[in-house]
Amino acid sequence: MARIAGVNIPTEKRVEIGLTYIHGIGRRLAVDICEKAGIPLGRRVQQLTDDEVIRIRELIDSDYTVEGDLRRNTAMNIKRLMDLGCYRGLRHRKGLPVHGQRTHTNARTRKGKARPIAGKKKAV
Amino acid sequence: MARSVWKGPFVDGYLLKKADAARASGSKQVIKIWSRRSTILPQFVGLTFGVHNGQKFIPVLVTENMIGHKFGEFAPTRVFHGHSADKKTAVGSSAKS
Repeated sequence: MARIAGVNIPTEKRVEIGLTYIHGIGRRLAVDICEKAGIPLGRRVQQLTDDEVIRIRELIDSDYTVEGDLRRNTAMNIKRLMDLGCYRGLRHRKGLPVHGQRTHTNARTRKGKARPIAGKKKAV
Repeated sequence: MARSVWKGPFVDGYLLKKADAARASGSKQVIKIWSRRSTILPQFVGLTFGVHNGQKFIPVLVTENMIGHKFGEFAPTRVFHGHSADKKTAVGSSAKS
């Protein structure tokens, strides 16, 4: 059991997969980290020596923003836009798509589940 | 795609003149502009611009955070009042077949 970057406990998976359980690290960064730490791809997390775990941990701590920090970062950026009163901020406030997508149809990811409009006559 | 750095930020020339004039005279009057496409530059901070939204001028007090954004971002061109209830049902829910 290896704890890297706080809460994360990847399991019996290969290291480059296990690392992607950390928020902010995907396949690409995971492979990068393995390379920098000198760990051959394909090694399982449980086969890591303590020394290697520490190396990975330090690498991530020093070079990457992950987990809480990254989430806070993103939230701050969005909050900045919202406080600024610019168009993108307004879209965030209203929970509508920010990048100019259509909202006539679709946009369900941002708008959530469809709500009925009060008083709208259903087609017979 | 982002704009090339070597071009510098885009600003309509007359804005610079207006801003300079406002700075020099120290007037707190709203500077009416139509140039929504212009980037907000550091020298605009502290001035109030009336950004045209197609109908009227929206007063925008420029703060430091706004640098790098465009003027148009701060003057929404559409007003959404929510959906009205369907007219047909409103008129005659009883008369409907």
